[in-house]
Amino acid sequence: MKLMMNTDCIKPPQIIILIFLAVLLGLAHFLKMDLAGLFNESLIKLVMNGVLVLSLIPMLNAGAGMNFGLPVGITGGLIGMCIAVNFRLAGWPGFLMSLLLSVVICGILGWIYGLILNRVKGREEIAGTFIGLSLIPLMNYFWTLAPFQNRQMLYPIGGQGLRPKITLEPYFYNILDNFSLVKLGALEIPLGLLGFYGLICLGLYLFFRTKAGRAAMATGENEAFARLSGIDIAGARLLAIILSTVIAGIGICVYSQSYGFIQLYDAPLAMYFPAISAVLIGGSTGRRAFIFQAVLGAYLLQTIYLLTVPIANEILIPEITEILRTLITYSIILYALLYRERQRGIGH
Amino acid sequence: MKINAQAYKFFNIEIVVPIVFLLLSFGAWQFSGLSGAFVLNQVIIRFIRDGILVLSLVIPVVAGMGLNFAVIVGAMCTQAALLFVINYQVAGVAGILLVIFLSILFSLLAGIAIGYVLNRVKGKEMIVTIIIGFLANSIYQLVFLVGFGTFIPVINEEIILSRGIGVRNAVDLSMYRNTIDKLWLIKIGEIEVPLFMILVVLLFAGMIYYLLNTRFGQKIKAVGSSYEKAEIAGINVDLIRIKVLILSTVLAALGQLVFLQNIGMFDVYTAHMNADVISCAALLAGGASIKSAKIRHALIGVFLFHTLFIVSPQAGQNLFHNAALGEYFRSFVAYGTIAFALIINIKHEDKRLVVNSSCH
Amino acid sequence: MENILEVKELSKAYHGVPALIDINLSVKAGEIHGIVGANGSGKSTLMNILFGNPIVRETGGYQGEILYRGRRIHPKSCGEAIRLGIGMAHQEFALVPDLTIAENIKLGRERTWKFTDRLFGPKYSFVDRKRNAAGAAQVLHKLGLDVDVGIKVINLATNTKQFVELAREIDRRDIQLLLLDEPTAVLSKRDGLKLIEVLMEMSQAGLGIIFISHRLEEVGHICDRVTVLRDGRVVSRYNKGEISISQLARDMIGHRVNKAIAPARDLNTRPVISFRQFSVDMPGEALKGLDLTVFEGEILGLISLSGHGKLALGYGLMGLYPAAGEVIYKHQRIDQMDARANIRKGIYVLPDDRQGLGILPEHSLADNIIFTGNQVKNLFAKNMVRPFGFLDQKKADLHVGQLVDELEIKCTSIKQKIRELSGGNQQKVCMARALTVDPKLLFVAEPTRGIDISAKEKILKLLIDLNRTKQTTIVIASSELDELKRVCDRIAVLVEGKVFKILSPDSPEVEFGLALADEKGNQ
Repeated sequence: MKLMMNTDCIKPPQIIILIFLAVLLGLAHFLKMDLAGLFNESLIKLVMNGVLVLSLIPMLNAGAGMNFGLPVGITGGLIGMCIAVNFRLAGWPGFLMSLLLSVVICGILGWIYGLILNRVKGREEIAGTFIGLSLIPLMNYFWTLAPFQNRQMLYPIGGQGLRPKITLEPYFYNILDNFSLVKLGALEIPLGLLGFYGLICLGLYLFFRTKAGRAAMATGENEAFARLSGIDIAGARLLAIILSTVIAGIGICVYSQSYGFIQLYDAPLAMYFPAISAVLIGGSTGRRAFIFQAVLGAYLLQTIYLLTVPIANEILIPEITEILRTLITYSIILYALLYRERQRGIGH
Repeated sequence: MKINAQAYKFFNIEIVVPIVFLLLSFGAWQFSGLSGAFVLNQVIIRFIRDGILVLSLVIPVVAGMGLNFAVIVGAMCTQAALLFVINYQVAGVAGILLVIFLSILFSLLAGIAIGYVLNRVKGKEMIVTIIIGFLANSIYQLVFLVGFGTFIPVINEEIILSRGIGVRNAVDLSMYRNTIDKLWLIKIGEIEVPLFMILVVLLFAGMIYYLLNTRFGQKIKAVGSSYEKAEIAGINVDLIRIKVLILSTVLAALGQLVFLQNIGMFDVYTAHMNADVISCAALLAGGASIKSAKIRHALIGVFLFHTLFIVSPQAGQNLFHNAALGEYFRSFVAYGTIAFALIINIKHEDKRLVVNSSCH
Repeated sequence: MENILEVKELSKAYHGVPALIDINLSVKAGEIHGIVGANGSGKSTLMNILFGNPIVRETGGYQGEILYRGRRIHPKSCGEAIRLGIGMAHQEFALVPDLTIAENIKLGRERTWKFTDRLFGPKYSFVDRKRNAAGAAQVLHKLGLDVDVGIKVINLATNTKQFVELAREIDRRDIQLLLLDEPTAVLSKRDGLKLIEVLMEMSQAGLGIIFISHRLEEVGHICDRVTVLRDGRVVSRYNKGEISISQLARDMIGHRVNKAIAPARDLNTRPVISFRQFSVDMPGEALKGLDLTVFEGEILGLISLSGHGKLALGYGLMGLYPAAGEVIYKHQRIDQMDARANIRKGIYVLPDDRQGLGILPEHSLADNIIFTGNQVKNLFAKNMVRPFGFLDQKKADLHVGQLVDELEIKCTSIKQKIRELSGGNQQKVCMARALTVDPKLLFVAEPTRGIDISAKEKILKLLIDLNRTKQTTIVIASSELDELKRVCDRIAVLVEGKVFKILSPDSPEVEFGLALADEKGNQ
């Protein structure tokens, strides 16, 4: 049961994406853009967003659908980081503390989230969407009212609560990115970052080889079979959901240290669609995902995002970047939703 | 199956949710310090603006398709129609009629397309309509922010951004404004009641009530109950669902038309945003669930929900000296209501867990 | 009298497996034509085709001709069939659960306010609920039932639902051909007779009726002609006056000469599991108060017509469907129908719906074989850090390899995806999984369905070997009587969710036919 294995064939979305990417690369070359620089960027962007994409895998495989409630995990991670920064923990202690706190908080949040999702079998995706959406305003209260002491995090005098963007420069900005950075001519390979990413991939891979992981996969593949085989369906799903939430928490920590800011308030709203779209671009059907697909999809999507910015600025209108990004994202998700249901219909 | 318990539970939701909203609204109103008349006036205006949009959600729920978040597409169709007519500078009554005609045309086509798509995802309509809404929004932006000036010839320079490409953020509708929304205005003390518009909303409500009680309406209810059973009872389920979507989208388009002409100002890129979530939350606030909705839920819900919406920011200001907290409360209530409705309503279905054996 | 319906050379196959072969049938106006047949005879397929059930088209359509009132028809939807004047009372009811009795009866033909009819047309006219209800009540009254027609169908008892289903068709003015699928199965004798009265009245008025029933006595009593189907073919036809119940029973079951795989034996063992008033709420296959004792070391067969409950026993025991009643396993009450606990205790169920419940399609056959054993009994587990233990791949592969050889499972490697294997091989994989779990009591449902002849033999032999070598008690639920006769020590016939009779495998076919048909026969 190798999760690194390839899926069967390449479907239309992949073909379109690859063509699109080729076009963009061609344009970039034509416009004499700094390809090496772009490549370096792409590696960083891969991991920055990639962990969030990986977090989708457990839930997808356990039959809980695409995690539109990603904000739950993201929130846990944000809280973890805020606490670490509040106590002015910098450098590695800061980052590691953030990770630790995120894991704990996401564990609890994921547990509650999982209990709710177990009640809404068949509608996990829409329910997750709105659970995530309602959590955000709730957290806005928290960011505004919670007693954080670190002056740097708060609004200047007259305002109340945390700033929407908290800078990580004095703390652990780029700590992972710069760890073991290897330069090969114009190329910069962030080994530490990639290593961390690889570690998480490995962890997921091993999880799915454990008894509990297998039970989760079986639950997602054929729930009735799993039930008949004596598996505790609810427990398996719960485990997968908690795992997804925890990885998401880790993911936002990695993202933030790379980006340089902790983004609060409504920022999580922009994060979950691209992650879902990425795993779909990588070839997942929306009912099952291999690690390979998550990695590939994250890379493709981020590279496309990366390329569209300078190109759009050169030849077209700047807004078109955002529009194109969202267009791609939503089309992919829509296609996956349709294709997946049609597959299910045939199985009858 | 313990149906009585289920029915009892349902009965509860229909009463409990509106009461909760009533209490919340009342409490927030007290904290806000706003006068009753002011609030009432505002609510009446919102009722007129959003009423039809909320009503457009009723039929899809009855048809078992859940909350139709794609009503936003209907709203965008109207906006598109409006922009085209303004672009081609058709003024006066002819202009209004053309807008109405075009918006119905566009929303009809959109409804057919969406209905067709939803027929392929029976059981997952809600998540698909959300995505369709987002996708349509992207396409809308593509057409109007990028297309105007590049692919689409610009005739009316006034509505275009200074750089020459893309429609500007806000377009003035003063030529259409105040034609009908102050008709038959009744003043009761400080309260203004634009009778004509209220009657228009009620007319639409009446139309939907009528439709739901025709033979066609019975078929819709059958499909909503169980589309497998409806199919073998001889109903063309796919066709009914498409018709339902068409109705919903066209109604949403007309609703948006009323909304825009009432506001008088047209925020091209944001007028329709969140219309879906707000209207769904309003419907649910009135006591509807994702499986069952009646006209009265829509009408009551608009009142209750918008009351809360109107008073929250001021209440937040007074209570916490932070109006933003009131805003957060509004968002939480809107999304939370929908989340709640999605979570509590699932008990009904779990009998069919295991596949039906024997194809004999 | 003209033929309302003429079916010529009708054939249909589901994915290559023939369900109907060259069926010829005709029904005259005013005739009540009975159709009788056991499982797999093709009755339901025939009804689905005549009524335009979309599943027919989705699985490849049909061949042959259907003439309705002299014209060729090809119903592509139930709506179309209804518009032609064909009506159907389904075995599982075509009733919309959240609508009331009145609404269901009048669906599509509601009474409306006349002036809206003229204004907006028949589809968009306003429903007159009072007149609707009155009309519905009237029809029900005709059938002998008086009930509040404002109750939602979902709240009704099964026999009431049957009345509503029938009332809907009887209420129609345009109906020319009525298909009745087991209309009396859930009715009491008295209600059944009342229905028959009404039907005979209607047939006298010119309505053609197809009457499917397993109650042979009824069929003999009211039908003008009877056609017997078996294995998708017409095997015999009788006119009124020629019908004998035992002959019908014999025709239904058929007669095959098969030698027993295992010699008959006399088992004098203790009971291993007994069911008392065991009910399982499985939609379409419910058990209603089953009393059954299974003896240690025996092979017990369960046979019933479809829908009568044989498949539900295992599923109910494993908690897949809500179950009630008393189950005593090895002198201990089983309180919770929990799959995990029961597997640990030594009970295992191999389901009939292989594709739906029996396999993990995307996994390799090796994974499928060791899955349950590993999950529940920790077989092949490496670390003791449960539940996160890893698999001892070497041990597992060895074990799988052995089984693959033993059972002659044809595959390219043990890592091949199970969905690429043929049906027979998939079933062998399922058996291998059961062998790995090594249960004391094994429930198997439809073990040879969808499998070619040679694989069938192998599977049956496997079951016998398992029983003889490990003394595993086996309960086989199957619709293939001849197979049961070859391997079982006893065969229990279930009718309407209860054990009707227990026969020895040597009993003549007609006994089985009669038992299935709810007839006491020779006692």
